[in-house]
Amino acid sequence: MCGRKWVRLGGVSETARVDGVQRPPLARPTEGRVVAGVCAGVSRHLGVPLASLRVITAISIVFLFGLPVYAFLWLTMPQSDGPALVNPFDREHSGISRSRLFLIGIPVLVVGGLAVSGAIRSVARLSLTLPLLVIGIGLVLVWSRLGTAERRQWISADDRRETRIRTVIGIVMALMGLILLLSQGGGFGRLRDVTVGVLVVLLGVGILGAPFIARFFDTLRTEQTERIRATEKADIAAHLHDSVLQTLALIQRRADDPQAVQLLARAQERELRNWLYAEQAPKDATLASAVKEAASDIETLHGIPVDVVVTGDRPIGEAGAALVQALREALANAVRHGAPPVSVYLEVGPGEAEAFVRDHGPGFDPADVPEDRLGVRESIMGRMDRHGGEAQVRRLDDGTEVRLRMPLPEPTTVDDDNAKDET
Amino acid sequence: MTARVVLVDDHRMFRSGVKAELDDAVTVVGEAPDVDAAISVIRQTRPDVVLLDVHLPGGNGNGGSDVVTGCAGLQTEAGDPVRFLALSVSDAAEDVIAVIRAGARGYVTKTISPTDLISAIDRVQDGDAVFSPRLAGFVLDAFGATAGEIAEVDEELDRLSAREREVMRLIARGYQYKEVAKELFISVKTVETHVSSVLRKLQLSSRHELTSWAMQRRLL
Repeated sequence: MCGRKWVRLGGVSETARVDGVQRPPLARPTEGRVVAGVCAGVSRHLGVPLASLRVITAISIVFLFGLPVYAFLWLTMPQSDGPALVNPFDREHSGISRSRLFLIGIPVLVVGGLAVSGAIRSVARLSLTLPLLVIGIGLVLVWSRLGTAERRQWISADDRRETRIRTVIGIVMALMGLILLLSQGGGFGRLRDVTVGVLVVLLGVGILGAPFIARFFDTLRTEQTERIRATEKADIAAHLHDSVLQTLALIQRRADDPQAVQLLARAQERELRNWLYAEQAPKDATLASAVKEAASDIETLHGIPVDVVVTGDRPIGEAGAALVQALREALANAVRHGAPPVSVYLEVGPGEAEAFVRDHGPGFDPADVPEDRLGVRESIMGRMDRHGGEAQVRRLDDGTEVRLRMPLPEPTTVDDDNAKDET
Repeated sequence: MTARVVLVDDHRMFRSGVKAELDDAVTVVGEAPDVDAAISVIRQTRPDVVLLDVHLPGGNGNGGSDVVTGCAGLQTEAGDPVRFLALSVSDAAEDVIAVIRAGARGYVTKTISPTDLISAIDRVQDGDAVFSPRLAGFVLDAFGATAGEIAEVDEELDRLSAREREVMRLIARGYQYKEVAKELFISVKTVETHVSSVLRKLQLSSRHELTSWAMQRRLL
């Protein structure tokens, strides 16, 4: 619960304080209480003598006006779980002495008693006591919810002058409101007076409380930013754990197999790069991404790096899918029978797509070509033929190159056509 | 004479790895992990070639481009300009293009084999351009060559000529310069001329794709 949290925070900030008075949190102790521990708690918190406070409280309850205050504090003060985290006041030096307590307490009693008896005597007087009561409750509530550091800041900001001016203005405003309330006449003008009075009181309280409100929103904003940052960090950590750390562990275990290590490293690099520089556009369903995917599949399957270079792009289409299939076969051939480096170049032009698969193997003698390879080549060429394309195999000085050409009808999208019309 | 090389990369492991691979072929005269250290080391040692990572901490936040601009006009003792070769894992076209536009003579990926890297360093030292297949792909895309845009005259900065396009396509297919030369029945020297001309266009062109990349990296 909120109150509990506050106790914990309060305790932490108490112990963090080095200079000044150490003030235990405003809470009802479980030991040494007479009724509900309100007096004991207030006494500890403010450092006022407990016995005197109890006397004043008892009198105020006899006068009736103390009753709601006591009930309110009972309801709002959290119960402290254990012994106070910090030592109670050093009675000789800090805190409020008995004489000062009575000096403040007796006028309060008198005024309160008069107010209550007045309120009982005439309902009209309620318009005076009610705002006073509300302001009092509000102040106590705000005070009890403030952290120690905030309280100190509220009372004495870094700029002392500003604080003093603010306090003076606030008090003057509040007093003016009270005077207006007190000097209210009757009849029609009274309503206006009361409204003005209440407004002035609110303004005064607002000026008094402005720094606290600003700080409150600041804290809220900071907390929000931190939470977002924490979530992001957790996401990144989770991703790294699932991917990079796993791969690193695998690499350590297979350190004696350079090829496996290289393969793992490359696959991880590709995956991480994808994650880091992920493009906004959907990656599936374009020719370029399909070719890249085919190449990385082959790479993973056979453990030989494949360099892919792509220029241009377009939606894949049926013919494009056939091209990717043929390319995949050609690549599988290259990594199985050729020698690295194996490279793929895909060029998507306006009317056709061309793909080149190149390896650096020793070349081959057509007579030595094994049956399965011929079959695969048949499937490459056959597939390209069926979709109106063509496939050629060239023997270079250093390796083999397969060239796949596929005419692609009606290029790309409507937008591109429009752009072409304009130019 | 072996090339004097400075290695700039923010990963110490990578630097030592490259150093071990290159040890016999080149003389590594300096290393630097960030932009500011790189600029001072390069100014001090005045190497033939700087192997430059695209992504580096420090400077104005533009990574390798800042190093190239920070060392502009620097010459070796022989009087040649200090040349830069971008060496990166970056797949992002704009990062690579930005370093090239800042003045680097080429771009190769970190997966390059040691022999290829050594020949690339030699080529850059001689003042030629080095295009990896990936960079050639970027170039073809950026100049709209894939879509069939071809320069009417070779001097046009915003488009590739037909011959340059052919050279770029072959490089993208993984051909070495000598293989390109053989394929197109031209000399290796001519291939190098074409590649250098593409590099010049890449650095000088105001083609809007290139410009927007550069704008993003606050180069113009």
